[in-house]
Amino acid sequence: MKFSESWLRSFCNPSMTTDELAHALTMAGLEVEEVKPAAPPFTKIVVGEIVSREKHPNADRLSVCMVNVGSNSSAPLQIVCGAPNARAGIRVPCALVGAELPPGDDGKSFVIKQAKMRSVESNGMLCSARELGISESHEGLLELASDAPIGLNVREYMGLDDVVFEIKLTPNKADCLSVYGVAREVHAITGAPLAPSPSRNVQRTLNDVLPATVLAPDLCGRFAGRVIRGVNAKAATPAWMRERLERAGQRSISALVDISNYVMLELGRPSHIFDLDKVHGALEVRWAKKGETLKLLNGNTVELDDQVGVIADQNGVESLAGIMGGDSTAVDLETTRNVYVEAAFWHPAAIQGRSRRFNFSTDAGHRFERGVDWETIPQHIDYISALILEICGGEAGPIDDRTVNVPTRKAVTMRIARAQKVIGVAVSADEMSAIFTRLGLQHARDADKFTVTPPSYRFDIEIEEDLIEEIARIYGFDNIPALPPRARAAMRAQPTDRRSLHELRRAIAARDYFEVINYSFVDELWEKEVAGNANPIRLLNPIASQMAVMRSSLIPGLLANVAHNAKHRADRVRIFELGKVFMRDALANDGELGIAQVSQPLMLGGVAWGAVVAEQWGERERAVDFFDVKADVEALIPGLVCTKATHPLLHPGRSAKLSVDGQFAGWIGELHPEHLKRFDLDHAPVVFEVSASLAQLNKGAAFEAVAKTPLVRRDLALVVEQSVESDALIKQLNEAADPVIRAIDVFDVYRGANLPTDRKSVAIRVLMQDTERTLEDSEIDAAIKKLVSRAETAFGATLRT
Amino acid sequence: MNDRLEKHLRESAGFIDALLASAEQSDASALAIRRQAEVPESTQKFIAQFSTPLPPATQKLIDDFVESGTQLAQLTDSIIKTHFGSALLDFGLARDTAYLENAKAKYLGKAGAVTELLKGMAQLSPEEKKTRGAEINRAKDAIEVALKVRRESLAAQALNKQLAAESIDVTLPGRGRGVGGIHPVIKTWQRCEEIFGSIGFDVADGPEIEADWYNFTALNNPPNHPARSMQDTFYVDMNGTDGLPLLLRTHTSPMQVRYAKMHANDLSSKGTPIKVIAPGRTYRVDSDATHSPMFHQIEGLWIDENISFADLKGVYTDFLRRFFETDALQVRFRPSYFPFTEPSAEIDMKFDSGPLKGRWLEISGSGQVHPSVVKNFGLDPERFIGFAFGSGLERLTMLKHGIGDLRLFFEGDLRFLKQFA
Repeated sequence: MKFSESWLRSFCNPSMTTDELAHALTMAGLEVEEVKPAAPPFTKIVVGEIVSREKHPNADRLSVCMVNVGSNSSAPLQIVCGAPNARAGIRVPCALVGAELPPGDDGKSFVIKQAKMRSVESNGMLCSARELGISESHEGLLELASDAPIGLNVREYMGLDDVVFEIKLTPNKADCLSVYGVAREVHAITGAPLAPSPSRNVQRTLNDVLPATVLAPDLCGRFAGRVIRGVNAKAATPAWMRERLERAGQRSISALVDISNYVMLELGRPSHIFDLDKVHGALEVRWAKKGETLKLLNGNTVELDDQVGVIADQNGVESLAGIMGGDSTAVDLETTRNVYVEAAFWHPAAIQGRSRRFNFSTDAGHRFERGVDWETIPQHIDYISALILEICGGEAGPIDDRTVNVPTRKAVTMRIARAQKVIGVAVSADEMSAIFTRLGLQHARDADKFTVTPPSYRFDIEIEEDLIEEIARIYGFDNIPALPPRARAAMRAQPTDRRSLHELRRAIAARDYFEVINYSFVDELWEKEVAGNANPIRLLNPIASQMAVMRSSLIPGLLANVAHNAKHRADRVRIFELGKVFMRDALANDGELGIAQVSQPLMLGGVAWGAVVAEQWGERERAVDFFDVKADVEALIPGLVCTKATHPLLHPGRSAKLSVDGQFAGWIGELHPEHLKRFDLDHAPVVFEVSASLAQLNKGAAFEAVAKTPLVRRDLALVVEQSVESDALIKQLNEAADPVIRAIDVFDVYRGANLPTDRKSVAIRVLMQDTERTLEDSEIDAAIKKLVSRAETAFGATLRT
Repeated sequence: MNDRLEKHLRESAGFIDALLASAEQSDASALAIRRQAEVPESTQKFIAQFSTPLPPATQKLIDDFVESGTQLAQLTDSIIKTHFGSALLDFGLARDTAYLENAKAKYLGKAGAVTELLKGMAQLSPEEKKTRGAEINRAKDAIEVALKVRRESLAAQALNKQLAAESIDVTLPGRGRGVGGIHPVIKTWQRCEEIFGSIGFDVADGPEIEADWYNFTALNNPPNHPARSMQDTFYVDMNGTDGLPLLLRTHTSPMQVRYAKMHANDLSSKGTPIKVIAPGRTYRVDSDATHSPMFHQIEGLWIDENISFADLKGVYTDFLRRFFETDALQVRFRPSYFPFTEPSAEIDMKFDSGPLKGRWLEISGSGQVHPSVVKNFGLDPERFIGFAFGSGLERLTMLKHGIGDLRLFFEGDLRFLKQFA
């Protein structure tokens, strides 16, 4: 909310500087976001009257004016001027010789000097509003009122040494959505006296009443209005009002609209002024009916239903209750003569969310959603009426005031001890009482508690905590000590069977991967074509189409990161992300940490692209391959098993499903060549994605005595068909292994010369040991023989000689 | 006695080398030194054979070296002294084992000088035999000491030579894979866990696609409440079991409710306080240099019988000072509004140095947990009170490192990420 400091100080004027006042408001919860001068700095610009205007002898567009600047000069000044509206008799701002004009874009101020313009002497400058920096309007000279005191400094005359405050109000501070409301706060914070709320009496000269009925008491609690006839809609808004409106960021529109806006800004009272002659029959206040439509003041037409409140006449809906008036009964500069001034109390619950539904917001709706005082409706209608009569003339009828269902203000109890416990400071009861008094809260003390009846303009005091907050706020958060925490000490330890996610991150980072963070929402095409997910979870309101669905895989995002870095000339990229992925899941239930129908597991994904080792002097360059990355993943997850499998993202011959103890853990593989182009890559990265919770598992250590007997090694070269997988071979051998065999591993695979093309030789290392005794050669040979014969029967393997 | 000689020889092991090096300026000098050793003759007589005498300074060095050697070996006979002196020089001149073994033969071999001396004793009287024999044996022992010293020195030289040949450019980069790094925002996350963990806060995380109730209603923010517009929410195309659309959590606060519900019983029956932080991803419909549609928050919650606003001030102020590692950090709490806390406070901080010095910077929202929310935890708000706070991890990271643009965190650009490795 924006308003000028002078307006605020007209109600409550503490002896503080502007900055002190802004700070005090901020520290009371009314955050002052900006403090800006109402006008830029300038000097020696005074009210001048153009005494005469002659055409410039040497220039068509210029005129030569004689300007009376009062005591600033013994004789009228001759000033050359280019403004089209320069004419004798008007009073305008006149910059004297030596005046400094507001700084331009370069930050330098412009100094007025005595000059000759086309050989005519000019002793000053007549100014437009834009030249004074107070408006963008450049419609010639700024014409001041005809009674503006000649010679008076313009800053003083126009009150330009003012400051505009912009306050960011929290949704609970409905009572501060007006200058007077803020003044009440200033009074509460500073104790400076508060002027009474502005009010006027209205001379009633008509008996006309526009009949109105409230049909929906759950929508409207009080509805009041008054007929005023014979107004001059074209009357000019007075300068003081226009100035306050403009400084509040409200453009002046017409006197009637300005008055309504002015009172809303000053007192927080939204009102609506109907053109009485456009209203047909009596008004009724009700919920809209499905199918009704309304053309609003802003030109939009909205479709209504029974969730939206309206004011209607016999022709139909005329106004969106509490939000915006309709176009058909709007006041008009040219034709409006008679008006109906309406103000009402709309129940916040009946207004909340409605304007958001129609995708716009209004100042009135903003206030009614949060709550507007219902008690002062007649006084405020009087105030509005008085301003109309004063500015636009006319004659007023009586106020037709219908109270049907206004809130009751229940007394709220606050226990002194509870407040002290919550705040953590022993604020005294007397101090609490003084705070309530300054806040204008009626209260009574009964031994250890206060009973407070909130005023009708407060919508945020319903429970004890609301009062505790008020005490803390006005007592001052700064005055509450920052206590070092005191608590029972209890140890916490990470369970040994799970490592933390941070340990997991450190482990993968130690293998030369950098962590990235990608958005959880991605392009739908990625999901469908890259991740192979035909039915991703969609956002209803994405900010962009490439962020429209929830990802079910981390990989596409990582590939995009590779592409981004490749574009910036990186030739080797190794990155990982630890993040959730999201899938529809019919089996998922609501739970302590779960949401029905959605599975959102945490995954660890990685991509390695480019050389296996960064280019350097000591190592031959080689592109990273499946087995490099497999080693990285194995280092993370001991006991990981790869099973050949295909995935739409991956090269069908170079991809595998990962599992741990038979449980699916994720995928690894080289990117399918058909996706290279999508990500603008010239060669394929190797990617993996595994369940983070499986990767977090720590297999507990199982101690075994260290054998003192010698370890025996025998190597076997088994020639098998190319298609035999090493895991399958090892599995068979393990099954045939004697107990003395400790380990069977592949240490080489050979293809080529000396072997048929459909065969390969797999070199196998067999380690044997008995913890108790040294093995006999015969046992060793027998064990080996068993292995060879198993390989023979299972795979038709032969020993390579 | 020979220990002292050995020590003397060791200490002057480099002497002959140095001598040769200094003499290398003149071939003649070097030759002179060599010749001097090659012939086991009296030094003076020997030198006289050469037209180019050694420079007097060099000669003096040699004489002193030999003289102190003979003294230490307690030799008096001039011939024996001469033999010993030339052995010292000869050994010193040995550049390899072969030369040294040849030199050894010259003195100790079958026809060696010392052997000859011993042979020559035959004519001597028993009395003379005794003294001369003792002197010769001293010389023999001393020569053996000199030989041993030189052998060791040559072995050391040979090893040094080999090591020198094997030397590498230690300034070349190390071989193999480098080390990656953890994202700066996650480092902040980790640091927050460590700091709060140090006073016993647990860590929790939960769903990012969240139900309306947990994200809003349970936090005292029912549908249509004006406070809902404080956070622009992403909704997904699925409804929760309550029929309301599921959403992307707009803050980590739903974890307050989930965690507290899970632990409410521990608090009410065992008195174990609810003390947790919940860092994680959050989402809002917003995107520019200072807003990202996805960002990270850390939620904090401490509920017990007597946890006040003053405790909140204490804990959070301490946290900020530990996080930014300065006690000079100013922290202020100013009244604000959140549906789920009351009183509510916005927390600002101010550095006393650095580029952001002197400005109040918003860092966190906080407050005493609202009694309706405590009730939603499954706890009696009359008995249990406490505070909650929520801070942006990106914001903490940006302030810590002076990063101006939030978008850098989400581009995956290695040029950025490597700075934090």
